[in-house]
Amino acid sequence: MNTDTENRSTNKNKVIVTRGLKKTYHDNGVPVEAVRGIDFTLTEGEFTAIIGPSGSGKTTFLNLMAGLDTPTDGEVELSGRLISNMSGKELSNYRRDHIGFIFQAYNLFPVLTVEENIEYIMLLQGIRKKERHERVMNILKQVELEDYADRLPSKLSGGQQQRVAVARAMVSKPKLIIADEPTANLDSNTSGDLLDMMRKLNEKTGMTFLFSTHDEIVMKRARKVVTLRDGLLDTAEESLIQ
Amino acid sequence: MSLISKLAWRNIFRQKRRTILTILSMTGGFVLSSLAIGWMDGSYGGMILFFTNHRTGQIQVHKDGYLNDPSIYDTIDDYMSVGEQIEATDDVRAWAPRIYTGALLASRVQNSPPGIYANSAAASVVGIDPVMEQRATDFSDQITDGEMLTASPADSSLRATGQILLGRELAITLNVAVGDSLILFSQAADGSGADRRYIVTGIVSTGNTELDRASCYITMADAQLLFALEGRVHELVVMTNSLSDVERVTGEISAMTDPLGLSTAPWKVFAKEFYNGMQADEASLKIMLAIIIAVAALGVLNTILMMVLERRREFGVMKAIGTRPKSIVKMIVLEASIMGLVSVVLGSVISTIGLMILSKHGMILDPPLDYGGFTFREMVASITPGCYWIPAICVMVTASIVSLIPAVKAAHTDAAKSMRKV
Repeated sequence: MNTDTENRSTNKNKVIVTRGLKKTYHDNGVPVEAVRGIDFTLTEGEFTAIIGPSGSGKTTFLNLMAGLDTPTDGEVELSGRLISNMSGKELSNYRRDHIGFIFQAYNLFPVLTVEENIEYIMLLQGIRKKERHERVMNILKQVELEDYADRLPSKLSGGQQQRVAVARAMVSKPKLIIADEPTANLDSNTSGDLLDMMRKLNEKTGMTFLFSTHDEIVMKRARKVVTLRDGLLDTAEESLIQ
Repeated sequence: MSLISKLAWRNIFRQKRRTILTILSMTGGFVLSSLAIGWMDGSYGGMILFFTNHRTGQIQVHKDGYLNDPSIYDTIDDYMSVGEQIEATDDVRAWAPRIYTGALLASRVQNSPPGIYANSAAASVVGIDPVMEQRATDFSDQITDGEMLTASPADSSLRATGQILLGRELAITLNVAVGDSLILFSQAADGSGADRRYIVTGIVSTGNTELDRASCYITMADAQLLFALEGRVHELVVMTNSLSDVERVTGEISAMTDPLGLSTAPWKVFAKEFYNGMQADEASLKIMLAIIIAVAALGVLNTILMMVLERRREFGVMKAIGTRPKSIVKMIVLEASIMGLVSVVLGSVISTIGLMILSKHGMILDPPLDYGGFTFREMVASITPGCYWIPAICVMVTASIVSLIPAVKAAHTDAAKSMRKV
């Protein structure tokens, strides 16, 4: 076991920890500080929303935690492991095994059926066919789409597609599910239903959810809301909703 | 089917119009290459057959060193025995002996006093066995006036008038026609003078003006007697059942004739200029093929680049959820390869139809093509394995290589950036 891991083994119930996280972009040569030093901790089983105005750095912050972007400074630790020390291959495996993604635009593979989309990650993980099928059918039942397994995403509504995306994100049982504005393309009823379903899954499975959102429906259903403003967390506006 | 193969296969049907265009581009490259190869093989095959059947034969046997420095003294002794052994070799269709030497021919001007020979020309005298020559080559088909030499035994007294065939241009120079007589002056292998009167029995038109200006033909028996070469010849020409047998049969005959101090060569060696000319033409054709493939490759590159650009977000998602870059490369190369495979199948069907038409009807050359000293009036294509496997390899390799560039580009998609743009 390496020193980093040993030192951080105490953070067992902390799913993700960021320390002094910074990200500076260069837009046409002009430096833009999207994230300006965030210390943040997410513990197991949380259902947390990150809110903030456009350009506040929500997506950049989520990307940094997901290992999709590299920080200019600071570090991200997932279950005791620093992701900044990981090679490209390790990072790829890390995302595959520990993080589930839900995107604003669903981003399902249009040529794969619902079942194939959901089992994609399990195929990458090398899970056997029988188990894949069982897990897909089980999660489809939980997102109430068990009759849609053979359909292509184009034959589903936006809400249904996002539920498939939720199923895809959860089926491999990751430590953390990151959702970047998951309801941005949905109407309010569908958004409410989706969030209710996700919260139910969170309660049932204990899986950790982290959202970025503008949507009040999401905010109302989050157990914890943190505000991001100008690339910094506004601790004064952190709230716990029971 | 693996996940990546499944994705690659289904992605092909996403943008049907673009897929069809890409496949058509590759199919076009395949068909053009295939037809060009068939045309080249057919034309050159026809030329080689024409060239070897007409005169040279496909394989020649000489005394060692004769090809580089021909001499009347460098003969094949006991040639009948050598010839019989050659004939016993597998895939040898026929053989024929020949004698070559030089002579001065002189003819009389009409109504000139006896003994006055005003027209004369130097010529190459070829002694042929009329029966064996007809079995081996189509020499007799080249006699345009008169008839072939008869295989009568030579007159040992050499007093009787012999038969001679003249090349068309030589007959014009000597101002003689069928039935006229002329005198042949030369020197025999024993150093004695060799002269004899001949009656022109036929005019030969090989299609090679140079050859017809300097060649005359007498019977083997006459030639052996006149030039004191009894039982000896300078050359054995050999014909095989097929051009594809030539190299192998040459080797087998060589093994037999080498110990006898004889050398055996295929047409590529003794007709070096003709062969080199063909090689040069083949090189031009290869450049043309490379251009055809390059144009098709550019089309493929363009469409695959477009596809990669359109699917950037999807590649970003794939990477985000843990797909390795090499799997993305594999998927795109596989997509291009599948399209390449479809093009090969489609191209093979179209090429077969085109090649069948071109091999049946050919193309009339107007004006005729002069090549290797001969005139060709028609060219036809032939259907060979090369018409399929060469374009198939070119298309598949090109599709894979060309798709590698966009594939690597796709594999390096920045997941965060690509998903930021909706």
